[in-house]
Amino acid sequence: MMISLVLILPIIFCIVLYFLKNKTMNNILIIAYSFLHMLINIFYFVNPNLLGNNQYFALSSSNYIFYLILSVIFLATAIYNSGYLKILNNKFDNKKMTHYSIMILFFVLSMTGGILSNNLGLAWIFIEGTTLATAYLIYFNKTKHSIEAAWKYVFICSIGIALAFVGIILLTIATGSVNSLNYSELLRNAHSFNHFWLNVSFVFILFGIGTKMGLAPVHFWLPDAHAEAPSPISALLSATLLNCAFLIILNVYKIMMVADCVHFAKIMLLTMGFLSLFVTSVFLFHTTNYKRMLAYSSIENMGILAIATALGGVAYIALIIHLIGHSLIKASFFLTSGNVLELFETKRIKSIKALGSVDKNTSWLWIVSFLGICAFPPSMLFVSEFLIVKTMLVEKNYILCALFLFLLTVILYGMSKVVIKMIYGTGNEEKLSKAKANLSKITISMYAPQMVLLVLAFVFGLYMPEFLEQIIKVTIAG
Amino acid sequence: MENGFIILFGLTMLYLSATSRLKAHVNALIVQGILLFLICSTGFSHLPILAIIFLTVETLIVKAILIPIFLNKVLKKTHSNRDTDANIAHFWCLLISSVILFMGFMVGVVDIPSLSMINPICFGIGLATIIISLWLITIKHNILSNVIEFITMENGIFLLSMSVAKEMPMLVNIGVLLDVFIAIYILGLFVSQINKELGDMEVAHLSDLKDCEYDD
Repeated sequence: MMISLVLILPIIFCIVLYFLKNKTMNNILIIAYSFLHMLINIFYFVNPNLLGNNQYFALSSSNYIFYLILSVIFLATAIYNSGYLKILNNKFDNKKMTHYSIMILFFVLSMTGGILSNNLGLAWIFIEGTTLATAYLIYFNKTKHSIEAAWKYVFICSIGIALAFVGIILLTIATGSVNSLNYSELLRNAHSFNHFWLNVSFVFILFGIGTKMGLAPVHFWLPDAHAEAPSPISALLSATLLNCAFLIILNVYKIMMVADCVHFAKIMLLTMGFLSLFVTSVFLFHTTNYKRMLAYSSIENMGILAIATALGGVAYIALIIHLIGHSLIKASFFLTSGNVLELFETKRIKSIKALGSVDKNTSWLWIVSFLGICAFPPSMLFVSEFLIVKTMLVEKNYILCALFLFLLTVILYGMSKVVIKMIYGTGNEEKLSKAKANLSKITISMYAPQMVLLVLAFVFGLYMPEFLEQIIKVTIAG
Repeated sequence: MENGFIILFGLTMLYLSATSRLKAHVNALIVQGILLFLICSTGFSHLPILAIIFLTVETLIVKAILIPIFLNKVLKKTHSNRDTDANIAHFWCLLISSVILFMGFMVGVVDIPSLSMINPICFGIGLATIIISLWLITIKHNILSNVIEFITMENGIFLLSMSVAKEMPMLVNIGVLLDVFIAIYILGLFVSQINKELGDMEVAHLSDLKDCEYDD
């Protein structure tokens, strides 16, 4: 019942918005949907029977954490968006703003469907749906750069998703007599699958869905798309969409584990994970655009998730903690980048100096987000990366551990260089006064969500509440 | 008989590799659509009747009629005739595509035990089509060529999905349709927008975003 509602209601909202074309309603319905999305979490704990799990969609221990992250980030983004919409409303007409809101609802609906799907084929369709919705959102500003970013995004991701589809076809060959793509059915019969076809299908699915997840070497769309999209969309892209893609890879990886093909899958994940860290460390060093820097950081963190998956054992706990921590902090970072962009009207790092003297709140959010994403204690990412390093040391993977720490240090240096340059220094007086004049655009709703997200990310790093600990345990067991 | 249609389908990829006229590319897509329709109608009687109707109607209407009409409109609108700036000469293009297709054909001919549950010729040609399309995408510089090769890749995937002899879930058919929808809606829409914004269809114009200094 509730699951059907969370999937059907946004469609009704989209139809209402399409006919009303009202700027206030755009905001109200996005926030209403974000609260409904959150409400499902309460039902999950209080009365799971009311959720209405069925053979196609279900909220279970294995996907719940992904759903919870999506709910929290969507709620925070929706609140930020209410302030951001005021700025956009002054620039664009009713029709365009309605399309923007419809596409946000459609985007979140696709992600929700992808997470709740019990079926690999269905999850694939929803992931494809996210491409349709986000292509418009990336192209929203209709500039030469945004069309370039959207084109690359659509083209590369469509090819990736098509390759993932080839992987699904190969998986159906591997399954032999099993005539279903249902995860539980696949897991139940995985021991009888043909290993050759299963390995080949995993390669295609990893490369295909890995494109959407932003794993190197198939990450090329990500820095462009994340940098050109409006900031609330960048936050959703980075903090939730990449997770949805990762969930599919994780589910297929579980099938590989049961089928006893995990060694091959581990090598693939480790290779792509370390390649992602390497690509980030190289490109982040030269980047001139702070939103691209954040996008590269997303590639890095997806790489860390892939590495944690491959390591297994204690690293699974690290995996879930990293997933939560990255989503909370990266959403905050991207939303704050929206404030910086509104103040300075540029994405060029060189053009931004003395952010601290222009807007103290934004500069603090910028610094704390940076500390969080670079895993300074007590950030959740410190805990997760510490556990990953510990797992590597316990398993005597000293070379991998050294490489991991080296690449993280290079990335830390690259990011800190940019953040310090932006916060301190003396900027051009004219630019600073213009930025100060833009301060009136930034409302309280464009600070508060990031503050809450960062508080959560740092508090959970110090103290893990029992319910969250329970969710992590259940997710690992599932 | 369906094996004959499948081989003809593979040969259309050689035609695509050897020509630079975009109109000819669209015509090849029409032929591919019709061949896929014939393959669906003749060789897959083991599928439920509803699935056969869905597949045949989808291939004929969408792949053989709607997509070509749409692409022809875009060609007229953008005044695009030829894609002459490919990285590799047509002769080599044809040669390499022939080798890939031959290898695909060999997959269908050689008796491999692990291929027992699939239609090998369908599988081999489908795989060869996907590889040739991906390769053509990398060497061609025109956005419309890239879109056309993306659609041929989708056709190859469609053929590959039909190679699985067991009953495919309906969801997979919907998945194929959704991919076609992407080809028409998003790629088509963007092609028009890119032409409006940049004035022509060269991929080279879409390389402004990079990590070195650029104006935002």
